[in-house]
This record gives sequence, structure tokens and C-alpha cells, in this order.
Amino acid sequence: MRVVTVEPHRHEGVFIYRGMEDALVTLNMVPGQSVYGERRVTVNEGGAKVEYRTWNPFRSKLAAAILGGVDQIHIKPKCKVLYLGAASGTTVSHVSDIIGPDGLVYAVEFSHRAGRDLVNVAKSRTNIIPVLEDARHPLKYRMLVGMVDVIFADVAQPDQSRILALNAHTFLRNGGHFLISIKANCIDSTASAEAVFASEVRKLQQENLKPQEQLTLEPYERDHAVVVGVYRPIRSSSKSRSSK
Amino acid sequence: MEGKINKQLKKVLKKIVKEAHEPLAVADAKLGGVIKEKLNLSCIHSPVVNELMRGIRSQMDGLIPGVEPREMAAMCLGLAHSLSRYRLKFSADKVDTMIVQAISLLDDLDKELNNYIMRCREWYGWHFPELGKIISDNLTYCKCLQKVGDRKNYASAQLSELLPEEVEAEVKAAAEISMGTEVSEEDICNILHLCTQVIEISEYRTQLYEYLQNRMMAIAPNVTVMVGELVGARLIAHAGSLLNLAKHAASTVQILGAEKALFRALKSRRDTPKYGLIYHASLVGQTSPKHKGKISRMLAAKTVLAIRYDAFGEDSSSAMGVENRAKLEARLRAIEDRGIRKISGTGKALAKAEKYEHKSEVKTYDPSGDSTLPTCSKKRKIEQVDQEDEIIEKKAKKAKVKIKVEVEEKEEQEEEEEEEGVLVVEEQETSVKKKKKKDKKKHIKEEPLSEEEPCTSTAVPSPEKKKKKKKKKGNED
Repeated sequence: MRVVTVEPHRHEGVFIYRGMEDALVTLNMVPGQSVYGERRVTVNEGGAKVEYRTWNPFRSKLAAAILGGVDQIHIKPKCKVLYLGAASGTTVSHVSDIIGPDGLVYAVEFSHRAGRDLVNVAKSRTNIIPVLEDARHPLKYRMLVGMVDVIFADVAQPDQSRILALNAHTFLRNGGHFLISIKANCIDSTASAEAVFASEVRKLQQENLKPQEQLTLEPYERDHAVVVGVYRPIRSSSKSRSSK
Repeated sequence: MEGKINKQLKKVLKKIVKEAHEPLAVADAKLGGVIKEKLNLSCIHSPVVNELMRGIRSQMDGLIPGVEPREMAAMCLGLAHSLSRYRLKFSADKVDTMIVQAISLLDDLDKELNNYIMRCREWYGWHFPELGKIISDNLTYCKCLQKVGDRKNYASAQLSELLPEEVEAEVKAAAEISMGTEVSEEDICNILHLCTQVIEISEYRTQLYEYLQNRMMAIAPNVTVMVGELVGARLIAHAGSLLNLAKHAASTVQILGAEKALFRALKSRRDTPKYGLIYHASLVGQTSPKHKGKISRMLAAKTVLAIRYDAFGEDSSSAMGVENRAKLEARLRAIEDRGIRKISGTGKALAKAEKYEHKSEVKTYDPSGDSTLPTCSKKRKIEQVDQEDEIIEKKAKKAKVKIKVEVEEKEEQEEEEEEEGVLVVEEQETSVKKKKKKDKKKHIKEEPLSEEEPCTSTAVPSPEKKKKKKKKKGNED
């Protein structure tokens, strides 16, 4: 019988569960509760029982990116994250697990039906701040959000680059990072996926959002790509630019 | 927030900025325009302003002294939640957790109330056992007890509001000749305490039921109209929440509550149950047992529509529920009517109903269990058995005179029993001395055993009624 272990992933705050099957897991901030019916695993760590929640890459673009081998997700413990397109809070809950109780994730979602579920998730996790506003108008929620370290955008809108840029100008600190999930069909269903990705990247560059890496989400999603970049990079005196 | 100026903002602007006579940097261009209109202040909105804003936002913690980051976070969180609720038009009325809790509490209260009442009756029964048998209603018992207490006070007590006059008289009479023990003041005191508790809980239960009805009407008006408040509340409680209930299919709602029977039947490949909690709905209750299954299925189908309308719909009117219920009632009437028509054949012929015959079922007291003296020797018993058999066989044929006589006698006695009652028969028995009539006695004893048979055969009473009249005259002499 295989010994069941949970070992930390290269990314801080993310873990790998090695048991009957391997799975990507995060430390459950609210032990005993399942957010969207996902499987939970409990492991003995130094005497105490620790609970982890499995992260489904087919439902979450962030998990798909991690399993795809993205270099840096920039979401770490004690981070402040602005999450655009939070939907019912499934991925947001995992982000909340990663950043821990000292971090903050501002979850923006416009739909009321999904917003209801989001508010319910936010009730038990105090590091999630639900914002039920249109992400196209960041000024509408400027009193709720402070400056953030990372923006994660999964809005699936044709003008998502513009949305990301507006939010970055208002809320993202200098040297902060962004992750945007691009769905080729959503932007332009007639053009090829690579062309769409390239045009999006160009639009981002014009807004001072410098892309650093891009990877597709095969085999979990089709014609999807995640672009990771930095906003207004702080020029360090040393030659090597460290991406935080 | 929506491009308008708040009163507080106005105050602040008037006080501070007007005196400063400097242009105001505004992040929201629309807001800047409005401020300029109303207060005549010059506002600037440019990329420079944005940069400033960013700087301020980054240094927010440092700029506002005395506010800790934790407090800021808590403030943001609270504000965000209130704003979200405002956006969702969250109304505290529509929370279905109240229903789930209320119905569970109702069940708990019923159980507890039953326990307490049983205990109260038993306890007080030591002192005054007859009261328990006279007053069957639990609440009246407790109120009566509370008013009077010790048995001695019954004569002087006024129980007219609680009990009707005859019962009151009975109670007072029983109090005089009661065979219960005496109890001290303390004991009565404790019993009274329990009594008050019972009465309080009863009253609270009625209150809670009213509350539940109100909530059900507010939260799920269509469901209330279709199946009633109790059944609706139980369905919601079983599923966990109204939204969960709405996700179930109609067939699930039909057998919700009968899971044990369902899975047992599925495992052993037998027929699955036709109804669960829905059985207690009034529509299913008022149909004949043959059609309960059909009605339960139709009711479940319409009820899930009502549930989904209540769970996801924007308005809270019960028009849809009322409409559906009317449709169901019409269909129910059609089914009941159809049952009277013949199903096979042309369907136009009405089924023939049987002529109504009054089947009198008289159950008499079997006195053979009373006396410890042997009623008859074994020899006689065999005779009796033979006679019984004879009677049963030949009655059907109605052939011989001897048996006819016996049968007639029996019929007479039957009639007499019907008219006069069991006591009279026994009196007859005791008054009879002759051996011949002892036979009659045995016949009477046999009758309770074999009476079921004559009673069920419809043809028997009518032809013998004529003979009864003749023989009755003869008997009375």
C-alpha cells in the first residue's frame, strides 16, 4: 500500500497530494467544508490532522496553468489579489487558501446568480471581499479595493485587455503582476487561436502591461492561453530583473 | 456612488475646499461634473490625478493615522458585504433557514409535549385516577388540574368554562368517591408546576405553527397553495433549502421521504413506493385509495413547477399556484367520475352499481368466558359442534323443518339481540330454566361464533323475516 503524502509544490501555498492518484491540493482554510463539492483529504502532519482540498484543473484555469508548468503564478501567502470574473467562487476559494488569512482577495463578479454563491463563500472565508460590480468600471468599486499585488483576470469578454488595463491603472501597484486567461473563441471566433493570442498580447503591451510568459492550457481547455506579466516594472540597479 | 453627491460629501466640500480656494482633483469625471454644477468648484480630472490617486492609495495606511490595517480590512469587508447585499436585493424575509428550523422545532415540541402530558397524567393519576378516564383531551386535563389541584377542592371549583356541564358533574362525583391516594401540598405544587409548563408549551406550539404558516406564505406562496404549509415546510426541510428542493426532479419530489422503502424495493426488484411526504397533502388525502398514486404523481409534477417559481422567480405572487391547483382539482374530479364509468367496452355504458343492502353487523359479547363453572360437558360440545355444522350447511339449503325451527329461533334471538342488546339476552338466559331452553342457550352461545356467516349472506334475512314475526308473537306469550 502506498503511503499517502502531501508535499509542497514549487509554488508557495500549493501542494501535491500523492496517494492512489496524484492531485493538486490547497490547504483548506475552513476545515470540514467543501465549497463546490470537491474531494477533501486529511493527512496527519506531526500529530495534527491537516485538511486539504483537491483542485480540479478542468474547472479552474489557474490549476490548469500550474499543471501546465507556468513559471510563476505570483500568488503567494499574504498577497493581495484582485480577481476579475470570480463567478461562483470556486477558483477564488483556492486563491483564498493559498494567500492565507493575512492576504486579501477582492473577488469581482457582475452576475447576480453567481454573486449569490460568491457571497456565501465569502461568509465563511474572511479574506474574500465580494464585489458585485461590473469590472469595466473600476471606479465604481474604488472605495472597496486598496492597492493589490496581483490581478487575475478570467472575464471571457471581447474587450478583456481593456478591462485589465483599466483595473491595473487604478489598483495594481508598480511592479505588480497580472495573469490573464484568454479564450480565443471569445475574442474572435473566426481568426486562429495563435493570431488572437498575439493580438491580445500586443494590446497589453500598449498599456504598459509587459508580458513575461504565455502558455496554452492543453489538455484541460481548448484554444485557451494564460499570459503572465508585470506592470510598470521597477528598474532595479542590478542587471538581472527578478520577477517577484 | 452612482454619480450623485452625498450630504456628507457636500458638507465636507463646502467647509474645507471652499475656504482653500483650490481646484479639487477628482477620480470620477462624472462626479467632478456634478460637483462643479452644484457647488461651483473647479475640478480637475487628468492622468496626473490618476497618478496621484495611485500614490494615495498605495500610502493609504500611512496617510490616515490611527487606523490599523486590520481595522481597514474589516471595514472594507463589512462595507463590501453590505453593498453586495444591496445589489442582490437581499431581503431577510426570504431566508428559508427559518422554515427548516421552525418545522424541526415543531416536531421536537410535539414529542416533548407528549412526554410531559403522559407524565402529568400518570403522576396526577396517583391522586385522582378517574379524571384521566373522564377527560380525554390533554389540554383540558391540564387546565382543569391547574385550576383545582387537590381532590378536595373539586366540589367548590368552577369548571364551567373548561368542561360541559355533564362532564363537570361527572368529575365532581368522581372526586368524592375517588380511590386515589392523598398527596401533600408540596407534591401538588410540583404537579402544578409541570402542568403550567405543559400549558405554556402548548400555547407556544400554536404560536409557532402560526409563525410557520406566515413564513411559508412569505417565502414560498405557490408551494403553500399547492400542497399546504406543513407538507411544503417538510419538503423544504428534507431537501435542506428551497434552492436544493428546486433542483430535484418531479419524480424525486413525489417520493421524497420514502427513501427507505424506495431503496429496499429497488434492491429487491419490487414495486417502488408511490408517494412519500406528499401523501399528507390535502389533494392526495381526499382521493380514493385507488387513485392516490395517480394524483400523487400529478401533484408532484405541478408542485415542482411551483417550487421552482418560488425559488428563482422575481415576484412573490401565488397566482400561478392557484391556477395549477384549480387544474389539478378539475382533473381529480374527472378521474373520480371516470371510475364510475366502465373502463372496458365502449366507455359510454355506466358501470352497474350493486343494490344497497343493509348488512347488519352485530358483535355480541361472548359470555362463555365469564363463568368458571364448566358450561357444558364434552359430550355436549360435540353435539354443539354437530349442530353448528348442520345449521351452517342446511341454512343455505333451507330444507328441513327441524332446522328451520332452529334457524327461526336463531333469527328471533338475533332480532331480539339487535333490538334489546346483550344484557337482555343474558337475562333471558338466566331466566330460562327448562332443559329445552338450555338448548336455546347453547344456540345463543353458538351464535356469536357463527353469526358472522349469517350476517354476511345477504339473502338470508329477507325470507325469514316473515317467519320471525310469527314466531315472535309466539315467544312473547
